[in-house]
Amino acid sequence: MIEILSALGPTSVQDLGRFEQYRFGVGTSGAMDDVALRAGNILLGNDENAAGIEIPVTPFKLRFGRDRAFALTGAEVEADVGGRAIPPWWRSRAHTGEILTIKAMSRGARSYLTLSGGIDVPVVLGSRSTQFRGEFGGFEGRPLQTGDVLPCAAPNPSAETSDLGVGPADLVLARPNMPAGDTTVRVIIAGEYDAFDSTAQKLFWRSGWKITPQSNRYGYRLQGPAVNPVSPIEKRSHGIVAGVIQIPPNGQPIIQMRDAQTSGGYPKIATVIKADMWRVAQARLGSTLRFEQTAYADALAAEDEVSVYLDRLRADVRLFAELQGCR
Amino acid sequence: MPIDMTHIERLAKLLETSGVTSIEIDDEGQSLKLVMETSAIGMTSSVRADAISSSEETLVIAKADVAGHFLATHPWRAKPFAEPGQQIEAGAIVGLVKIGLLYAPVLSPAAGILDAITAEAGAMVGYGTPIASIRPTAETA
Amino acid sequence: MTASDRPRISLLGTTAILFEAPGPFDLPHQRRIWTLATTASKWPGIREAIPLITNLMLTFETPPRDPSTLMAALNDAWNEAQELTIGGREIRLPVTYGGEIGASLQAVANHCGMSIDDVVSIHAAPLYTVFALGSHPGYCYLGGMDPRISMPRRQTPLQRSAGGSVSIGGSQTGVSASPGPSGWHAIGHTSWIFFDPCWTTPAALAPGDTIRFEIERVIR
Repeated sequence: MIEILSALGPTSVQDLGRFEQYRFGVGTSGAMDDVALRAGNILLGNDENAAGIEIPVTPFKLRFGRDRAFALTGAEVEADVGGRAIPPWWRSRAHTGEILTIKAMSRGARSYLTLSGGIDVPVVLGSRSTQFRGEFGGFEGRPLQTGDVLPCAAPNPSAETSDLGVGPADLVLARPNMPAGDTTVRVIIAGEYDAFDSTAQKLFWRSGWKITPQSNRYGYRLQGPAVNPVSPIEKRSHGIVAGVIQIPPNGQPIIQMRDAQTSGGYPKIATVIKADMWRVAQARLGSTLRFEQTAYADALAAEDEVSVYLDRLRADVRLFAELQGCR
Repeated sequence: MPIDMTHIERLAKLLETSGVTSIEIDDEGQSLKLVMETSAIGMTSSVRADAISSSEETLVIAKADVAGHFLATHPWRAKPFAEPGQQIEAGAIVGLVKIGLLYAPVLSPAAGILDAITAEAGAMVGYGTPIASIRPTAETA
Repeated sequence: MTASDRPRISLLGTTAILFEAPGPFDLPHQRRIWTLATTASKWPGIREAIPLITNLMLTFETPPRDPSTLMAALNDAWNEAQELTIGGREIRLPVTYGGEIGASLQAVANHCGMSIDDVVSIHAAPLYTVFALGSHPGYCYLGGMDPRISMPRRQTPLQRSAGGSVSIGGSQTGVSASPGPSGWHAIGHTSWIFFDPCWTTPAALAPGDTIRFEIERVIR
């Protein structure tokens, strides 16, 4: 078990998400940066869907109730356990009673703490992810608070636990010739794209979109020049998924994120491709997002690239464990 | 998929640790043969021993324990893990060995003052390659 | 056939596809959407079929390599889709109209140019049909509201509207299942429970069920 000594904001227990519950109005929830959560779990020899803690705000502090391996992935943070500094995207081991402290977050927007065995909160409707609106899943259906004690499942006995790092996704999956500072994400045009004239479309593609402070797990509200359809569109409510970019009447795009409503009616100009959602998740408040049009087939190829990265990671971790075992 | 350097290193490491003397691989028109040269291993270790005994003071050496490319700095960061003159704890990370997608830490065997990072950033290192020298503090020396 | 007679089919990235039926927002169309949902949910690679208001979203277990095949299949299945009559349950829902939670009751009355009592009796008169579930856990989209009490959605949504709020948004009405932001106008509330993740089926209501609002009290 682990005890939370300090947690701020919507720090929460998340796994990869709750699927197949849309027809009850239940969205997926789940880790905003699923690549980081998977990488942490791979390092620990966990099931990749094992629940971890998504930490969007620092400082964060917890105490280990017993010896346990853990990994920190996602955003770059200044972290130490028992006074030992933990590098980025790193697996280490904590001893009984030691305290993990996460201080400043200097790159990215969400850090992921995964634990050997995973956080063993009950599976609700197929997932351990916290469903904030429904107030279920995760730890008591709510953000973590000081004093919470979280159970952990038994570690995988064959998993290696020596210190080990992995190449962060943003280095390995870096896209060539991207402007520094801004986050460029690929999108596929959506149902109402043609309801915007070419001037509005150009504004959408060519503008840098500032991520406003009203951006969170529900959605990213962006700020830039107003992009409006030729005439106002009021659609009947329909299903939407994470990544959908809606244009409400004020012309300021909203990207739906993991805790978004499962339905909506604002016009949709485009959808961020699944392979780039982790990039959105790690884009910081106040930073600039840009959209780049991509074809469906290229979006699938981009998903394959993410899969190859994770496959290689799995293979390398296994091989490294073999090497350690040979010694 | 072509056989790349990191795979060869890993195979070599597996050979070294498993005691097998050679291995041959045929893959999509490429072939690779690795043979363990036992005398070479002996030489490396004697060189290492010399380096340590010839130094005026007793330095302890942090060595790589896996084959790969040496990194003194995490690729996300500007500051190296440890700099000469810096006080470090036993078990502190003095650098990384990049092997495939992984970063294996090179750990200081003792607490002390970092004397020098002897490996060159980006250089290929192997099992046992000296990475850093540390002047141990009196109480632990 | 003109463009507006044809279904609209569009991709939601690589995770889902949206089918929007042509024609009015009425029960016969919705019944065909239910049929289409039943059919499409069995197709390979489809994770879930989610009917909303005269439209259907399919989420992908595996994204299709060629979405045009799926689009053609949706068009064919729609053309063949008969009306699915679901013999749902009839629920009587006691509602307190007005009061703190139903604070927009007067605003709706003003907008529609009628008295509070008229709004309440018109709202409580029909037998509503659950068209679909969506938005948030357990929320039901209802069909059957009298258009005389329509009121456009808010320009700026409320940050927090109470759970159990009975609201009007455009020509639709519904009851929120939990507290959250809302762009609709709350005219009352109910203490009925719509969702519990511990139930075998987590939502109390399903498409095809019917609701009759019972006037428990009117707070003016």
